[in-house]
Amino acid sequence: MIWTVIQTSWRRLRNNRSELLLTFIVPMVFFSIFALIFGSRDSSGTTPKIKVAICNEWPTELSDRAVALLQEQKSLRITDRSSRTRASAEDLVRRGMVSAAVVFNKPTPDRVNGQAVQVEVLSDSFDQVASQVLTAVVQKAVMTANAEIAKSARTSSTTADGMGGVELASYSNVASPTMHMPQPPNISAVDIIGGKKTNPVIAMYAAGIAVMFLLFSATTASGSLLEERENSTLDRLLCSRLTMDQLLLGKWAFLTMIGCVQMTLMFVWGAIVFGIDLQHHVEGFIAMTIVTAGAASSFALMLAALCKSRMQLGWVSTIVILTMSALGGSMVPRYLMSETMQNAGLWTFNAWALDGYNKIFWRELPLRDIGMELAVLATSGLIFIVAARVFAIRWERT
Amino acid sequence: MPGLNSLLALPKAVSRSGSVSALEVVNLWKKYGNNQALGGASFSVAPGERLALLGPNGAGKTTLIRAMCGRVRADEGQVLLFGQSIRKPDVLQQLGVIPQDLAIYTDLTAKENLQCFGRLHGLRSRQLRERVAWALKWIGLEDRANELTSQFSGGMKRRVNIACGVLHHPKVLLLDEPTVGVDPQSRQRIFDMLDELSQLGTSIVLTTHHLDEAETRSDRIVIVDHGRVVADGPIEELIANTIGVRREVAIEVGGMLVAAPPGMEWSSARNRFVCFVDNVVDELPVILERIQRVGGAILDLEVHQPNLHHVFLHLTGKELRE
Repeated sequence: MIWTVIQTSWRRLRNNRSELLLTFIVPMVFFSIFALIFGSRDSSGTTPKIKVAICNEWPTELSDRAVALLQEQKSLRITDRSSRTRASAEDLVRRGMVSAAVVFNKPTPDRVNGQAVQVEVLSDSFDQVASQVLTAVVQKAVMTANAEIAKSARTSSTTADGMGGVELASYSNVASPTMHMPQPPNISAVDIIGGKKTNPVIAMYAAGIAVMFLLFSATTASGSLLEERENSTLDRLLCSRLTMDQLLLGKWAFLTMIGCVQMTLMFVWGAIVFGIDLQHHVEGFIAMTIVTAGAASSFALMLAALCKSRMQLGWVSTIVILTMSALGGSMVPRYLMSETMQNAGLWTFNAWALDGYNKIFWRELPLRDIGMELAVLATSGLIFIVAARVFAIRWERT
Repeated sequence: MPGLNSLLALPKAVSRSGSVSALEVVNLWKKYGNNQALGGASFSVAPGERLALLGPNGAGKTTLIRAMCGRVRADEGQVLLFGQSIRKPDVLQQLGVIPQDLAIYTDLTAKENLQCFGRLHGLRSRQLRERVAWALKWIGLEDRANELTSQFSGGMKRRVNIACGVLHHPKVLLLDEPTVGVDPQSRQRIFDMLDELSQLGTSIVLTTHHLDEAETRSDRIVIVDHGRVVADGPIEELIANTIGVRREVAIEVGGMLVAAPPGMEWSSARNRFVCFVDNVVDELPVILERIQRVGGAILDLEVHQPNLHHVFLHLTGKELRE
């Protein structure tokens, strides 16, 4: 009897291609995707580099040497060296243009020559790895530079003692006696974004989870289109005054409204329970939520129009959404991925949605600064809904 | 002045009775890959007429119904509603379609389903309320109007399914197997509902596998096979034109037969020898004698008046469900 049950179950599984795929192929696909995302971090060619801006407010031999050493670091990508002031470097970090900035501070009047050099690492705790790595790298670079200069000074001093007083005289004008004893650099790490927030991590992950579930709920709801086709309700609908354009637009509007309510509930809950600062970012939240929900709805309808059955939609959407969420940063922050994967993530609208929400809630940027994200999401939403309409042509007349 | 060809191409939207046809199917052709689903089907339906569309499985009935409501684009030919092509705007509003599947939302109540499809057919406010109330009464579900249709029996769902297609008062109603999977009492109820509509002037075209219903509940029968109309007319006319007025004699024979009884055919499906006779009184004794002569013993004997089943078998060579 038990053998018969096993045999029948196997035969049913064997005859069901979708279930076979879900059981044996999909796990391997996901394993491969995650292996690509995280496995490639170890290969030297694609290890994520930390985007850094350097601001040398008071160029000295020490700071110049330290900057040169930082530039030689393979783990850093010096993206902007034109920051003349600390404020401009901070602005770059605040806007997310760089992960962190290194500022060689202008000496204050009370500081005297020979005292420890003042270096600030302006970090964004959104990228928790970058700030810690950079602080260590900067410390090493400054100390190395300091040691090299001290060594050079000692060598010069010895040479001057033996060869004449001109060099000594010129050197003694600038070098204090303490130069031969390098002071440890004074490096301070400043978290310029997350430091004052009560729940920095919550604000960061709320958007990621919200966007992923928005996609799941939208694709599930869009399955009604396939249900209507399977039970001939679509025939009946299209025999009424309703056109396919109206049907798709109606479903899109409904899914978008539901998506907006879903996101709003999630963020309101986040504000009440976890302290997300929603009330000061309502404008940006509304803009991002409408375009994100609209794009997700279009995407869901496109998938539904592309698939032949609800079962197919089920497994296609699971694969696509989990892949997009993994690449787009809904599951793990994109800064943990290799550069290749980070760039690949830009092809998912999760990444753009998350960037938009992060700019609002994390970086606290005004609405005008999320223009690119809004434009990308709105355009992709339009492309998806047009694609859905094209795929739905086959249902109009067979 | 139009040429001869264009005159010949004009649709003859005139029914057999001479009045303008409610529905006219003109030379419809449709091919799916190598499968010729429709091969020049033509027929018409008069206003208020009840027409049964019969054919073996795969004969093209559903394709024909879908072509009549514009859901299948025919390769050739046209469908006219009161003389106008169904492709013209708003012409389809005169048509009601009841698909074979339960094309309702089972997670809505009966009333909500009716309101939804009523609105989609352009009914609004008072007119919608009145038509929904009428439909609920018509299908006998007034007391269960606010229950989810998922909780209904198969017959009740079928009734809601039909009501959703007639809310807008269509002049022609297409029903694809409206009683499939329904118990005899519910079938009776559904046909009573359709008779009511027919009396109000609605033309009804339905496909069914129940020959008895087609015979008793329709004014005219169209038999389709291989995508073509192979017979079209009232049941009496079809019988007269195919089998004639002869009676069918079916005899169950026992004993050891040395040969088949002359003039009789063996029906394995019925386990009987079958033949047709013009005069039962004169010919039956002769038949019985022939059977006994070849060694057979008469176990049972049936004499049938020709019916639609015989016509169908005669024309298609198949049982309806084959």
